[in-house]
Amino acid sequence: MKNFEKLGLPAFIAVMAVLPHLLNERWQAVAITFLIFSVVALSQDIVLGKSGMFNMGQALFFGMGAYTTAILNNEYGWSIIATIPLAILIPALFGIILAGPIVHLRGDYLLVTTIGFNIVFVQVLQNNLGGVTGGPNGIFGLDSLSIFGTDLMSQIAVYYFAVIVLLFTLWVMRNLEKSKPGRALHYLREDQLAAESIGINTRVYKIFAFGLGAGIAGLAGTVYATQYAAVSPEAFDFIQSVLFFSIVLVGGSSIPGVMLGVFVMFVVPEIFREFATWRYFIFGFAMILAMILRPRGIVPATFGKIPKFLIKGGSHGA
Amino acid sequence: MDIFLQQLANGLTIGSMFALVALGYTMVYGVMKLINFAHGDMVAASAFVGLTIYTQVMGQATSLGAVIVIFLLSALTMACIGVLLERLAYRPLRTAPRLSAVVSALGASLVIQNGIMLIWGPRMRIFPELVPQVYWDFSGVVISLIQVIILALSLILMIALYLFVEKTRMGAAIRASSIDQDAARLMGINVNSVIALIFIIGSSLGAVGGLFIGLYYRGITFNMGWQYGLYAFIAAILGGIGNIPGAMLGGMLLGLFNAFIAGYVSSTWADAFTFILLILILIVRPTGILGERVAEKV
Repeated sequence: MKNFEKLGLPAFIAVMAVLPHLLNERWQAVAITFLIFSVVALSQDIVLGKSGMFNMGQALFFGMGAYTTAILNNEYGWSIIATIPLAILIPALFGIILAGPIVHLRGDYLLVTTIGFNIVFVQVLQNNLGGVTGGPNGIFGLDSLSIFGTDLMSQIAVYYFAVIVLLFTLWVMRNLEKSKPGRALHYLREDQLAAESIGINTRVYKIFAFGLGAGIAGLAGTVYATQYAAVSPEAFDFIQSVLFFSIVLVGGSSIPGVMLGVFVMFVVPEIFREFATWRYFIFGFAMILAMILRPRGIVPATFGKIPKFLIKGGSHGA
Repeated sequence: MDIFLQQLANGLTIGSMFALVALGYTMVYGVMKLINFAHGDMVAASAFVGLTIYTQVMGQATSLGAVIVIFLLSALTMACIGVLLERLAYRPLRTAPRLSAVVSALGASLVIQNGIMLIWGPRMRIFPELVPQVYWDFSGVVISLIQVIILALSLILMIALYLFVEKTRMGAAIRASSIDQDAARLMGINVNSVIALIFIIGSSLGAVGGLFIGLYYRGITFNMGWQYGLYAFIAAILGGIGNIPGAMLGGMLLGLFNAFIAGYVSSTWADAFTFILLILILIVRPTGILGERVAEKV
């Protein structure tokens, strides 16, 4: 991890900075999609991978952020940048409120409840509750990105916006891992009972993880709404949540693993467009195969520094 | 009152379909502690297999004998696929972390769902009219022959399954394996055969459920498995997952609940109300209606 931060991160930033100038319009759009879905998948990783809660409704918070931006921009004329605080806070708040009564549920029950939240959310959007969500068609015709009154029309501007959001997410995740809540979540995931018995308030930290994951997903939603200048209910269907759920677990809930998962799921199909109808058929097989060959994910996560002599049999972490 | 009786009849019909599918979920969960996400897609696949058997094998015959053969062949096909699925996608992960098996199940679901799409195409297909369109009108409450058949056959299958699980030695093996696999193994029960058996039973019941869905709703699509599977799974949870009578009860209750929401409120909100009910029940009684409270194992 140390080496990755020293060499990998600057290299990654450099590649990300140059990349859009080497790509044409279509591939720029693909790159933006990759960045957005990476952020959502990482936010899912906070809840599912880092804290071990079976959450299959992350698309809800992603959609809530996107809709917050779209509604504030379209109905109330806020600029895109100005909607960011609310696009983070509203999903985070909902994450906390929704998680409150359900975090005590055992794994599979939690999974179904979060699917339920996602489906209720999509149905609310489709039925146009409150008359602001635009019904099944959604909301279209959002403004382009603008900073201090200057419109940034180009796709490259959206790209850099997405890069900044991704770097921010990576920074949050790095700090989380080195902080008290991060350690608490890790213990909780490894053994909830043991965590409770050493004085960790598991309930508070579980809700915290949900809120944090929801806020980051909401931020990704803002970028999504900006990129497509539109939002519609089916983009946040629970099938999307299933994809994020699978990406985190197949990737192994480490940052490189999750991003590799996003790359395979969303970028590779763009390369093999002629096989579009075979896409999910092949992914299905790949998911089964990946789990059989590497049950802990392609790039399993490790946690913190544990002295070698404490580790039985070598490997530790997830 | 008319609406009430009509929705009662409709609710019992869809409830029995939910219950049949829910049994497949609950039996697999009981023994393997795994949500078999592919089960819903197996149900959808069964409707398509039935369609093909009808057109290719039976030459579009709709006599009683032909219909029985269609049901038996579809159930047999799905039972084979179910056993194969367990062998290839779940057995290698028996000792892996639980989430790995969940991802494998999701993968299997994608494979089956998109396999249906690749074979039968992405468009909606119309299921053949295997049962004559006969309706009885009881002063405003209309009941069709299909509804009667679905309800009767489902009840017969469920009673048969209940007796099998409660009264036979193989049933006892299933119950023992779902309480404690290791202890069951020590008592000389071949857990692998038990798991194969529950996949055979669960997939066949699901296959019948899939054919019923085709008969009742007529339009079948490759991705309908998610929707019906999710409902059936909720039914299993409502009844207390792992509990066989619970799945039957949960299915019926969910069917009735859905029908009454559609009749009295609005069908566009049916999903939302169903999930709100589920969430409320889980908050009040986290192990379902008939589920026993299980102490967390340390």
